[in-house]
Amino acid sequence: MQLTDVEKRMRDGEQGEPVRMAMEILIALGEIYEAERLVPVRSAHIAGLSLKSHGIAGTEWAEDLAKQGAKVCIPTTMNVVGVDRSRDLNLPREWEKNQLRIETAYECMGCYGTSTCVPYYCGFVPRFREHIAWAESSAVIFSNSVLGARDNREGGPSALAAGLTGRTPLHGLHLDENRRGDVLFRVTAHLSGIADYGALGSYVGRMIGTRVPVFEGIKGPSIEELVYLGSALASSGGVALFHAAGVTPEAPTIGSAFGGKRYDTVEVTVREIEEGRQKLTSGKERKVDYVAIGCPHCSLNQIKEISILLGGRKVKEETALWIHTNVAIKHLAKQLGYVKVIEDAGGIVTQDFCTILGNPEALGFKTLATNSPKMAFYAPGSNGLDVWYGSVEQCIDSAVSGYWKS
Amino acid sequence: MTIKLKGRCISKGYAEGEALVCRQPIGLNFGVDFETGVITEYNHELCGKSIKDKVLIFPHGKGSTGGSYVVYQLAKNKTGPKAMINLSTETIIAVGAIMAGVPVMDHLEKDPFDVISDGDHVIVDAVQGIVTIDK
Repeated sequence: MQLTDVEKRMRDGEQGEPVRMAMEILIALGEIYEAERLVPVRSAHIAGLSLKSHGIAGTEWAEDLAKQGAKVCIPTTMNVVGVDRSRDLNLPREWEKNQLRIETAYECMGCYGTSTCVPYYCGFVPRFREHIAWAESSAVIFSNSVLGARDNREGGPSALAAGLTGRTPLHGLHLDENRRGDVLFRVTAHLSGIADYGALGSYVGRMIGTRVPVFEGIKGPSIEELVYLGSALASSGGVALFHAAGVTPEAPTIGSAFGGKRYDTVEVTVREIEEGRQKLTSGKERKVDYVAIGCPHCSLNQIKEISILLGGRKVKEETALWIHTNVAIKHLAKQLGYVKVIEDAGGIVTQDFCTILGNPEALGFKTLATNSPKMAFYAPGSNGLDVWYGSVEQCIDSAVSGYWKS
Repeated sequence: MTIKLKGRCISKGYAEGEALVCRQPIGLNFGVDFETGVITEYNHELCGKSIKDKVLIFPHGKGSTGGSYVVYQLAKNKTGPKAMINLSTETIIAVGAIMAGVPVMDHLEKDPFDVISDGDHVIVDAVQGIVTIDK
């Protein structure tokens, strides 16, 4: 791989040990993927900041870097974590203490403590064709597909390496030729609401692995529906980019999405959507003791919708209703009165935090209801919870009644 | 019978151990108990099985991008695989393995799923770029 004189000096340690280590990671990746050179990136987003991912070993690794004076040189945002800095969730003290150590270490390196998986909901919006180095699989796929930015599936450390150097290896989805579609999914099922889009992503993600799906027949989706479609594709599969004809910027037509490549076609009917939904459902007992919404973090619209759906009803005493979002959206939702409506009903709106990265299972919850495909996918393995997956209406009804109705 | 295969070195190093072959992609973040190395992903082919001290053969990583730290944590806890062999390694596994010094190779000259079975003794020399399989 070709390095500039400045990059060679960074590699040789002229800017200190953290930059040297960062260059070692980037050069190794560049060699693996046969990148011609490094490319400047405008922003980075670091994921894997939960204690569940870092562990104590990763925490000490980050603290060592901070002590050595590591500083990011481009806007670098931080992903959702396992603690809510605005309230006491009664999680184990040792957990909270170690989780805060991780956040402090990265903030010392100059990262923004946005603590969210949706940095694009609080002002960090990459432009079309801009090179970025974002981790968080749902943010990677959203910025690539919906915004048309250029990003590979970064891991936490490689995103930090990009933040410390302002660079990433030029390969994969940074290059035009790798952004074309592989398989056409012709959707004839009518999709309504984020749970339907999540079910579609769950079905297609399992089938397509890391290839690029192109959708035909997706009509007028909301931004939230595209966020949840992407998060399902990225968690059930390893998808980093999708195109939707007439919807996403690199697919004005089906032909342009494939760029002349030959492709197979798969029909997606109501049956396939149902299959995607079933794969996300592991519930056995209909009694629901935990309803969680907001993976990825809720938009203001989603929070408003929940406050309206509650319609003055109360959450059942033995059931918890947790809505996850970030500090920016939470602040606005509070100012507009939606948070009060949800909290008066007996629910809570968390910030910084989410179910899969936190450990609400420490509070004894057994059965989760959610409309979030990524949460439904990870909660059995990450939290040991059984899951009912369905619409936001079903979720709010189950919070009120304490039972899941299919 | 001994078979030697050339391949590409992703994360340099040398290790040997018992093969564990998995035909499904593996997502390590939220998918493994790093105290024990047991896979916890619901419905996964390896669910309930331990990857500790194995030479783990799987197509590629998937899922959450926090997985790099998990590879590192597993190595520090000595509950992770001794080495990994992929059809084609992606960034998440690659970075975690480089941080942790776990040897990883991919693009072997023959399909590892045709050659390697559970329990084979596998030597991964990710310096010379050679995998040796004793069946």
